Amino acid sequence: MFKNYLKIAWRNLKKSKGYSAINIGGLALGMAVTLLIGLWVVDELSHDDYFANKEKIAQVFQSQTFNGNTGTGPAIPRPLEKALRDGYSDNFKYLVMSTWNNSRYLKYNDKSLSKNGYFMQREAPEMLDLKILKGEKDGLRELNSVMLSESVAKALFGDEEPVGKNVNINNQYDVMVSAVYEDIPFNNSFHDAEYLMPWDKVLATQEWMKNAEDQWGNNSFQMFVQIADNTTMEKVTEAILNVKKDLNEDTAEFNPQIFLFPMKDWYLRRNFENGKQVGGRIKYVWLFGIIGAFVLLLACINFMNLSTARSEKRAKEVGIRKSIGSQRRQLINQFLSESFLVVVFAFVLAVLIVLLSLGGFNNLARKEIVFPWLSPVFWLSSLVFILFTALVAGSYPALYLSSFRPVDVLKGTFKAGKYAGLPRKILVVLQFTVSVAFIIGTVIVMQQINHAKNRPVGYDKEGLVQIPTFSEDFTGKFELMRNEFLASNAVVEMSGSSSPTTQIWSNRGGFDWEGKPEGFQEDLAWTEVTPEYAKSLNLKIVEGRDFSREFATDSNAVLINQTAKKYMGLADPIGKLIKDDDEEDPNPPLKIIGVVEDMITQSPYEPVKQGVYVFAKYGTSYYNLRLNPNQSANQNLAIIERVFKEHFPDLPFEYDFVDSEYGEKFAAEERIGTLSGIFTALAILISCLGLFGLTSFVAEQRTKEIGVRKVLGASTFNVWNMLSKDFLRLVIISCFIAIPISYYIMNGWLQDYPYRVIMEWWIFVLAVIGALAITILTVSFQAIKAANANPVNSLRTE
Amino acid sequence: MIQIQNLKKSFRTEEVETLALNNVNLKVEEGEFAAIMGPSGCGKSTLLNIIGMLDNPTEGSYKFAGHEVGGLKERQRTELRKGNLGFVFQSFNLIDELTVFENVELPLIYLKESKSSRREKVMKVLERMKIAHREKHFPHQLSGGQQQRVAIARAVVTNPKLILADEPTGNLDSKNGIEVMNLLTELNQEGTTIVMVTHSDRDSHYAHRVINLFDGQIVTESQNRAVGAMM
Repeated sequence: MFKNYLKIAWRNLKKSKGYSAINIGGLALGMAVTLLIGLWVVDELSHDDYFANKEKIAQVFQSQTFNGNTGTGPAIPRPLEKALRDGYSDNFKYLVMSTWNNSRYLKYNDKSLSKNGYFMQREAPEMLDLKILKGEKDGLRELNSVMLSESVAKALFGDEEPVGKNVNINNQYDVMVSAVYEDIPFNNSFHDAEYLMPWDKVLATQEWMKNAEDQWGNNSFQMFVQIADNTTMEKVTEAILNVKKDLNEDTAEFNPQIFLFPMKDWYLRRNFENGKQVGGRIKYVWLFGIIGAFVLLLACINFMNLSTARSEKRAKEVGIRKSIGSQRRQLINQFLSESFLVVVFAFVLAVLIVLLSLGGFNNLARKEIVFPWLSPVFWLSSLVFILFTALVAGSYPALYLSSFRPVDVLKGTFKAGKYAGLPRKILVVLQFTVSVAFIIGTVIVMQQINHAKNRPVGYDKEGLVQIPTFSEDFTGKFELMRNEFLASNAVVEMSGSSSPTTQIWSNRGGFDWEGKPEGFQEDLAWTEVTPEYAKSLNLKIVEGRDFSREFATDSNAVLINQTAKKYMGLADPIGKLIKDDDEEDPNPPLKIIGVVEDMITQSPYEPVKQGVYVFAKYGTSYYNLRLNPNQSANQNLAIIERVFKEHFPDLPFEYDFVDSEYGEKFAAEERIGTLSGIFTALAILISCLGLFGLTSFVAEQRTKEIGVRKVLGASTFNVWNMLSKDFLRLVIISCFIAIPISYYIMNGWLQDYPYRVIMEWWIFVLAVIGALAITILTVSFQAIKAANANPVNSLRTE
Repeated sequence: MIQIQNLKKSFRTEEVETLALNNVNLKVEEGEFAAIMGPSGCGKSTLLNIIGMLDNPTEGSYKFAGHEVGGLKERQRTELRKGNLGFVFQSFNLIDELTVFENVELPLIYLKESKSSRREKVMKVLERMKIAHREKHFPHQLSGGQQQRVAIARAVVTNPKLILADEPTGNLDSKNGIEVMNLLTELNQEGTTIVMVTHSDRDSHYAHRVINLFDGQIVTESQNRAVGAMM
């Protein structure tokens, strides 16, 4: 029986090639979008699955409240380690202190590479269950050891055996390779851990870190834990919540709350607001999941509409089958089998589309998704997906077609009832509601991105290059290099700073100044800079003056930004002193000499943070180079590299353009914008395919009517109008439904951005005009074709 | 085989109710060949559809082989129809997407017969209808007469007790029409009961009995003396 169903389905497909192409093509496109989104969602949800202990690993987080604002983050003070080890060790299987991921120079023989890695405590490889390829898992046991990722080992040593060899770090000290571990895959935390070194090594080489052992206020470290097998994250959090507050009076006023942030939430639920977890990327997983489901629904609707529109062609068959003994159930099965066949073809085509587009999609989405050929789960899910789609797409046509009465259809008196087209109209309205909502959503996302992009950044980011200077080789060479670069004519100004232009690496509090309100708990972005910082960035001084080499006292001077002036309540800030509120602090107070324009260093969607720029006494981490505008960037860079190599022949020449670094801040939103733009275009295409098919059937059904009308004097326009207006009416209804829905959703989305675009009325008008224009284009092709047909031919067909 | 008493059938649209059959009483014995005649719109086809269990009467009783079928649900009617009834239509009503063989095979599939049995029965009936050489052709590749032979083959392949023919020669030229009537007569002579609706006087002469309908009522019934006179 099933064979018979498939046979007739196949012959029907072959017979109506245009219909089949629209049906299978549209469905394949919808399925391809859903498959791609499905692969993306699975990739997102499987983040950190590489770690066998994922469910038990957490990072220790801290919430602190300053002036009523609670900030939450991973930065913790060093004494917390001792407190947890001494008082709560039963709760943990492993407890691992760690630095942040920093770039360092790794040198072997004459090969020098800049790589990212961590200093971590000894249990890290065990906790992360690193796959050791060479050497030993306990590779952080010895003070002077380093564990390398496979790709770094390969890059440094080639085919040589790396274990046991010495690697020089930052031209500062040598460490011996103790192990090589498998690269941590892309969609996992620590995939940027290209090497690991012992925590004790960084304490031995960094005086300030060593000194931080008892500093509860110095939140410059991070800690990862694996909880004991017999406990839960919630229980441990409950136990350690007030550990800092209880042990340290000085910081208790900020109400520090220590808690575990589980690894399973690191990637998707990383946002906190006022100390509460409020989601994160998971919203995009939902968003794209919903988009995928809707696009598939649009494609299924095409199938339903085209199948039922063709009902008159299938009615006779239904009648015959019923008259010779077919039960309705058997007919339902038959039509579901046809739907199944179409869906199988569409799926094969969809897989092909996915294979062809996966590379481009990965680029867009910044992913490394591979097609899961060998995954039984994928194929099983695909089968469920096919059956589900076949059921969704085929159920309505199956129920509708199988309901025909043989008496009516066999006598040729069958006419679809007055309301037979109603479900079809509802489905078209649903399709266009989704499409119009997608159009509005995409336009607003794009607008928001452009709005933030066009926001003044406060400095000139074009032609500004930054060079990281972490190696000891740079120590004491700032002035020399500045002179060399300026003399080379490739650079017109240069400064140094303790953090990159596009980020804030340090925040400080504990100051006092004249007029500071009682109990005010300040939190200031802290950047150490050389005197020409403002000049090199073209950062405008709005009050007072810039640093000057003329004044020796400027080594204790400070520039503040406009927000800091307001934040600190300084009406006339110039000449005011900022002191450490610790009376015994040996450092002289900082004197405010100028106010600089606010510059965006963090999120372009957030207000600028209050910040101070202090004179760098102990070196900086970045060179900021203003390129010579009279030469091309390539010429400038070639010269800079030559000068750099003259002084640091062993170091790789690394640099970033500040404007592209700044552009990275929009990367997530831009990806969302581009992807939703593409999905919107596909959704519209699918809807239009359906509309195109429907129009051609309507035109075919009304061939005789069109012929008669033309004989009676109807013009092409009259006929076009007759065929188009029904569809246009449906699309207008869709717009009325889509506008409030999309307004509500997009308004909610925009609330996440303090610096946001206002939704203008014309966006909605534009979407309506766009939808109508697309409808007219789609419908007109068939309508005009029908209108121009010779009525003699159409009447003869009757 | 067929016993109809006081049967009524009315059709209701939004505004009008039309009485298609009004108090029809009819008996058809097993092995009989009955022709129903009458002008267009007199209710011939409605009566045939009710006899064929494609439709239910509004009132009255219809017994098929002793079973009351007047009030059966569609599902039950289908079950009873299967294997007991064969249909031959004016417009052949073959499924365009199936070959000759597959069209004839279809009722056997619904009866869940085995593949080998189906093959055997279909080929036997196709040979009898002299259309076996066209088994792989599609309906549109056949002449009208050939298509009707296929339709008859499909109607008789299950060896039904009753064949209902709705103007079986209406779409055929006279030569093909005669051929089809001869086939039906042959089947009747082998014991199959036939009820045929026709406009054609010539065709009605093949029947044992002619029932004349007018405005939904049986007005006359006459016996044919010379059955098969046109053969």
